[in-house]
Amino acid sequence: MNVLILLATILFILMAVVGGKKGIKSFIALLLNFAVVIATVLMMNDPNANPILLTLVACGIISAISLFYINEINSKTKMAFLATIITSLLLLTFIFFITEKSMIYGFSEEESDSLTIFSSRIGIDFVKVATSVIIMSTIGAIVDTAISITSPMREIHEQNPDITRKDLFMSGIRIGRDILGTSSNTLFFAFFGGYMGLIIWFKDLSYSMGEIVNSKVFSEEMITILTAGIGVALVIPIAAAITAYHLVSFKHSKE
Amino acid sequence: MNKGFQKKYLLYLLVFLGFIGSMLFVYHNHDFYERTILKVTETIETDRIEITDNYENKDYLVTQKITAVIQNGEDKGKTIELENQYSGSQATHFQLKEGTEFFLAKDGSSVGDIKRDKYLVLVAWLFIIILLLVGKKQGALSVVSLAVNAVILSVALDIYIRNSDNSLLIICGISIILFTVLSLIMASGLNEKTYTAIIATLLSTFASLLIAYVALLVTKEQGIRYEEMAFLTRNPQIIFMGGLLIGSLGAVMDVAITMSSSIFELFEKNNEIKLSILKKSGLEIGKDIMGTMTNILFFAYVSGTIPALLLYFKNASPLGFTLSMNLSVELARALAGGIGIVLTIPITLYISIFFIKRKQAKL
Repeated sequence: MNVLILLATILFILMAVVGGKKGIKSFIALLLNFAVVIATVLMMNDPNANPILLTLVACGIISAISLFYINEINSKTKMAFLATIITSLLLLTFIFFITEKSMIYGFSEEESDSLTIFSSRIGIDFVKVATSVIIMSTIGAIVDTAISITSPMREIHEQNPDITRKDLFMSGIRIGRDILGTSSNTLFFAFFGGYMGLIIWFKDLSYSMGEIVNSKVFSEEMITILTAGIGVALVIPIAAAITAYHLVSFKHSKE
Repeated sequence: MNKGFQKKYLLYLLVFLGFIGSMLFVYHNHDFYERTILKVTETIETDRIEITDNYENKDYLVTQKITAVIQNGEDKGKTIELENQYSGSQATHFQLKEGTEFFLAKDGSSVGDIKRDKYLVLVAWLFIIILLLVGKKQGALSVVSLAVNAVILSVALDIYIRNSDNSLLIICGISIILFTVLSLIMASGLNEKTYTAIIATLLSTFASLLIAYVALLVTKEQGIRYEEMAFLTRNPQIIFMGGLLIGSLGAVMDVAITMSSSIFELFEKNNEIKLSILKKSGLEIGKDIMGTMTNILFFAYVSGTIPALLLYFKNASPLGFTLSMNLSVELARALAGGIGIVLTIPITLYISIFFIKRKQAKL
């Protein structure tokens, strides 16, 4: 039997046993997200398509699946959705700029050795592809942080309906600070695990410090880790501000 | 002005000075490099041809004449001319622009690595500044914990390089204990909920590794294409298992600490709370985070394969072949990590309840 199918089956059984109906939904969401990623890549194949635009749409669909399908459509998921989209847009601009400047796109010398059988003149803009990769690797964490802020903020607002906008915003920021450490850690370790082969490679071939720092692969991995951290931090004030603005103004207009 | 206030400004000042100092350094560190560094002063496009490859992909090929000034070494200040060729996709070679700094390749006449250190330092500072601004103390702790964990990992791998191939799992195991204890204590202090999270993290990580190992054994690793794992100097299976162990650790820690803090908080609010109620609320919290946490790992792993997927597709590789060649290792990682995350939920729940039961008995 295929090991991937076996692992997926184990994961499905565990999710169903531990999470019940919601667990099954979470597993389906994972499959849907996989389909979205593959569909996005297939659409990027069209040389006339803009990979960044496609990625933005994909990020929207992915957040909608994680927020509206696993949870439900309500004010907290809607605000988390909005916060995710705004953060992705901001981050995209920054990543595109830095990717182009630092030239971390395309395949590195080390990688292209094993890809020589392929034609690399394929008419797709790899600056944009690299930007898409970085934002996609972070989107899961951004969605998670956004919902972890908007959801308790609404609870706070329900329990103290007279809270001022500024106080509500500050409690959102405080909640965000508490989860910042663990969310960024989740990403850091995920990347560390993925890059272990690379670090061993550098050490085995005794690359010098200067060679490592300026190599395309290392810069790319480091910039991905750091921008992921920036994304998780940025979504905190954005989600807190949107929620505070929406909840408090809504209340006042009703009075 | 009180002491805390002064301390805060001192910290800001230090960050600011560090930023300015290191930026100045990376813009003027050419003499520290042994390899020759060149700065582009002029580029002239000498040729541009439309090309179509064997798979009907249209692209263009540009040849540039580059004039560049040597920035370091004995020939500092000398101007040299060289040729650079890139395709519109820039998949393997870059378009050089005025002002770009690059290293001369070993053959002495072509473009090697780009000088990227300045951008790396810039992004690192932006990361530090944004985390400090948003997270204050917790932000500073995340920055420190990233640095500490990176150092531990690097030292651990140094030890591994000097030992046999099989030592990686033992070394990763020891590092994981260090990572978990340090990160969780830094994140939530010395208390029972931290101890619960530490025990739960370690148990779940090793349990998920065991499951993954047995799954690989039972299926005889059918479906995993190690040959496409990039950057291999060693046995791929062992590196894959090591990466598995470390990769899901952050997510497992996150789930463990989230669950144990909420369960202990419920207990602190009401010391006589029934264990069955604790169990039920704990499970609800677990259900809420399970989906998003597995998603985080999934995207962190799978996104990196997009450029390779595009290259395969554009070279008319069949869908199934492309997916299995590029995604099997990443998917196995994401799935095994997901198993770890879900396992953490009941494990943390029962360990928390075990501690709370003892506390309630003492009351």
